Amino acid sequence: MRALLSFHPLFRPHLAGFAIALSLSLATLLAGVALLGISGWFLTAAFLTTAAMSFNLFGPSAAVRGLSMLRILSRYGEKLVGHDTTLRLLADIREWLFRRLGPGVHQASQALRKGDAVSRLTADVDALDSVFIVAAGPLVTGVLTATAVTVFLSVMLPAAAILYAVVMATALFVVPIMLSSGTRRLGARIIDLSTELRVAAFDMVDGHADLIAFGAADRMRARSDAIAADLSRTRLRLARASASASAAIAVLGGLAVVGTLLTGLTALERGLITGPILVGLLLASLGSFEATAAVTRQVAKFGSAIAAAERLRRLAETPPVVVDTLHPAALPAGGSISIEGLTFGYDPRRPVLRNLDLTVNAGSSVAIMGESGAGKSTLAVLLLRLADPIAGAVRVAGTDIRDIAQSDLHARIALLEQNAPVFIGTIGDNLRIGCNGASDDECWFALGKARLADFVRSLPAGLETPVGEAGHTLSVGQARRLCLARTLLSKAEILVLDEPTSGLDRETELSFFSDLRNATVGRTVLLISHAHLPFGIVDRILHLTDGRLREDQ
Amino acid sequence: MTTSTDEQEMGEDGGDRKALSALRRHGGIALGIAVALPILSGLLLIGQVLLLSQVLGRAIEDGVPLDQLWPQIFGFASLLALRIVLAFAAEWAGSFAAEKIKRTVRDSLTTRLLAPRPDWRQDRSSGALASTVVDQVEALDGFFSRFLPATIQAALLPIVFAAAVMPFDWVVGLLFLFTAPMIPLFMALVGFGAQAASDAQANALSRLSEYFADRLGGLLTLKLFGRMEIEAGAMHEATDQLRRRTLRVLRIAFLSSAVLEFFAALGVAGVALYVGLSYLGMVDLPGTQLSLQSGLFCLLLAPEVYLPLRSLAAHYHDRAHAKGAVAEIVRQFGELPMPVAVIIPPAPVRLVSSAVPILATNFSIKTPDGCSILLTSSRLSIPAGQHIALVGRSGIGKSTLLNVLARLARTEGTIEFSNRRLDDIDERELRRMLTFVSQKPHLFHGTIADNIRLAHPGASDDEIRRAADLALVTTFSDGLPDGLATGIGEGGLGLSGGEAHRVGLARLYLTDPSIILLDEPTAHLDPETEATVLDRLQGFAQGRTMIIATHSMTVASRMDATLRFENGHLLPMKPTLSVVSSGREFAA
Repeated sequence: MRALLSFHPLFRPHLAGFAIALSLSLATLLAGVALLGISGWFLTAAFLTTAAMSFNLFGPSAAVRGLSMLRILSRYGEKLVGHDTTLRLLADIREWLFRRLGPGVHQASQALRKGDAVSRLTADVDALDSVFIVAAGPLVTGVLTATAVTVFLSVMLPAAAILYAVVMATALFVVPIMLSSGTRRLGARIIDLSTELRVAAFDMVDGHADLIAFGAADRMRARSDAIAADLSRTRLRLARASASASAAIAVLGGLAVVGTLLTGLTALERGLITGPILVGLLLASLGSFEATAAVTRQVAKFGSAIAAAERLRRLAETPPVVVDTLHPAALPAGGSISIEGLTFGYDPRRPVLRNLDLTVNAGSSVAIMGESGAGKSTLAVLLLRLADPIAGAVRVAGTDIRDIAQSDLHARIALLEQNAPVFIGTIGDNLRIGCNGASDDECWFALGKARLADFVRSLPAGLETPVGEAGHTLSVGQARRLCLARTLLSKAEILVLDEPTSGLDRETELSFFSDLRNATVGRTVLLISHAHLPFGIVDRILHLTDGRLREDQ
Repeated sequence: MTTSTDEQEMGEDGGDRKALSALRRHGGIALGIAVALPILSGLLLIGQVLLLSQVLGRAIEDGVPLDQLWPQIFGFASLLALRIVLAFAAEWAGSFAAEKIKRTVRDSLTTRLLAPRPDWRQDRSSGALASTVVDQVEALDGFFSRFLPATIQAALLPIVFAAAVMPFDWVVGLLFLFTAPMIPLFMALVGFGAQAASDAQANALSRLSEYFADRLGGLLTLKLFGRMEIEAGAMHEATDQLRRRTLRVLRIAFLSSAVLEFFAALGVAGVALYVGLSYLGMVDLPGTQLSLQSGLFCLLLAPEVYLPLRSLAAHYHDRAHAKGAVAEIVRQFGELPMPVAVIIPPAPVRLVSSAVPILATNFSIKTPDGCSILLTSSRLSIPAGQHIALVGRSGIGKSTLLNVLARLARTEGTIEFSNRRLDDIDERELRRMLTFVSQKPHLFHGTIADNIRLAHPGASDDEIRRAADLALVTTFSDGLPDGLATGIGEGGLGLSGGEAHRVGLARLYLTDPSIILLDEPTAHLDPETEATVLDRLQGFAQGRTMIIATHSMTVASRMDATLRFENGHLLPMKPTLSVVSSGREFAA
């Protein structure tokens, strides 16, 4: 619940919308109750009247028609406004969450599994929609309607008012609370199981070749089937709980009706109320139970919403490992790098880099070679300040990178990651991620440098060719070159290329290397590779072994 | 663009409906109960309302004291209680039936996902497929648990109630009879628009899920290029577009609920006014001499006539969702797969573990999207026990060729292992005969050991350890806090490309194949590691047939022969010295 409340700053801009929806919903309910009550009263009174001419027909008939009309309009408006407001809120939550993921992105992308992250962003955010439309709104209107009817009863039939109030309070508070506390764990479990199922589906799709090739398909199927069965059972338990709550509400409604009937009949016998009033009250109290039905029907989903809110909050509040200093210094111009005494390991007890030193002058190029796992990519991570070192310092343009804003640093250094993704969109969209608003000419130039221009030119739609998730229409090598072109397109003065030629054949690799100098002229280049480098493509070659850099002999 | 898809989806409307009805039979007897009980409850309601109107009528009209009304009051309360029990049972049965159907569908979808050659899913994204299995199947729920029972009630109960009122007052009976059927008519009219819009919405939801998966996968890239702000805005925009789409659906869907509200109000108000006026003598139709009891009976029954229709309207979106979901399942999976009886294959012939010759004649392969031909009517003959390197430019089709040989992709022409057609070999036997390690082995969520164990679930820890040693996994895993028990994420997050690949390679050493197919086994490795990996590999591959797709001249030089993939042909070439030296020439 507290997790849910922590989202209130996001709710605030939409309060007006919710208030309108709430008032309309209240109007609908009250009109319904009044319509039934007045109809019952009118009918009975008409029957009992002896002088038809003296009966005031105009009032009740106008009221009946007016209330009908009001109910139609307010119902339509309530639904439309409520849904619109909720969806606006959802757009805000999505955007907010994406922004919040930004600072801890390095951890997030490591700790989150793709399937899980997707489920969190879409399903969890969607689950929050039940909070207003589905739970809070009906509860508030239910309470207000019940209060109105209780007040009315206490004037007309005080004996019934007490019973009615007790029954209504039970139906509106006790039953939903019991249901929600009983189903909270079930709701959370459903979200977890759905996530597991999604992850299993991802595994089946992405790991298909491995599953088939190793004859593991049946085992995978059994695993996913077990999750689906568990999900089914949990949902059934939830359905049973919610059906029980509906039954409890119906029992309470029955009690209220029978109670009102008995007290009403007693009062009628004693001449305390008239027949028309009795019928009117009875019908009104019957009608008011429409309000509680809505509360119960949806309260089962409340548990899911709370669980979703908790997960979203946990995800968004993961403290980032790297925090900008309060007053970041300006980053002076220049593309030099100097690293002193750098020590780092994801597990501090096992540092990958030990007391490492490196100086790269602006505009020069350095290749860093080393065994896989020697820490070459980790060096790139520290250079971009995705993590802070245990000891030592990294300076760019003579400034310690901990003293400047990360955004400035990232604008200065462009990284070609080892697993750089191709995004859904066109080839042009993918390139322009590297440089917002780059012209077509600039894009073609970058493609040319990455040796992909001929291929793209051969496509019917050229730069506008869409590429699918993970670049399915591109081969591994083409996807790699597209990411390379994206990096080259960026205006950064320092380029860090982590295995730029992995997935390329030797021929293409060699021509890429021979072009490298021209393609990166004027920029500082840090080339991380284990490939054989042709002579003279970089100014210096360093080897990373045992956590330190050694000059090539 | 949008209109054409909409039209197309409208055209498929009948198909979706048929597919939904076909699913009904999987609901079994529970679905029957969920439909039947509310009808029974509706019949009991007539008695309940009759008793209540009797109590009120006699008390008010005839001044009968409470003492004499107990039997009716007791009857009324008993019927009320009985109907509550029926409602509970019906609701539970509906959920039970829906769960059963959803499980059947999920089961058939996973079967299809795991089909050996999933040619149908070439351009489908994993995000959309996963969302189909989880979310779209879930969207079927309401159709069976709520909409279907509500439809039957809406079709029957108003007529039953109208018939019940007839003996008391034929005017009210006719009013019920005429207004009630109008409602479905109006709803059908508004429903058409709602359906088309709702299909479009399901489409948008799936795209949005794809889009999220995609942007999340590249979160780090986006941040490093300073794109977080722009992308967050784009995400808001995408969601807002979804809102506008959804609202278009709802504006129409809610219209139908307003229509219903109109008729329901008309029913109650109409009965109240008509009965009231006839009491006052202002309406005097023949054959309508109403007692108070009868008048109250009509009035109390009036809201109930429209209630089934209103609950149908409330669940109308369940139908729209389910149909949208079926359309989406068909779009993603090519069909709504029906469960197939699992046929237990006969135990495979015990294979003699020996090298197997490969002969492929007159075979062609196409790009995964089927658009262009990579290899035309070629012949490939590899003697038993030979080790072959497959070289060629990236993207030329080496991986596809290996996929074809591993029976993961289709081909034209004939492929034979030991004179047996590849298509005729039993799946389990084939997998025992052949081990394939793809270019990007998928790492499943679990420990490193779990991932290696994929190849042989019964492997002991020692065997895993030995395989990990052979693939040089232990050289990095021993440095991890939990060693081989270290958890790794989906896609091998946390491991470098080379490390992930070696975990994939370790799987090979748990198998005992006659044919080994490897795609770029040394792509991420430095020369020294590469040499060690190759030493182990060649030791293991003694007496087995092996094909390695590679860019590395070192690998090629160590094989028995090299096949060069060029211009749609496979050209054999011996590992000549010149090739080897051209690889070494550039050595730093």
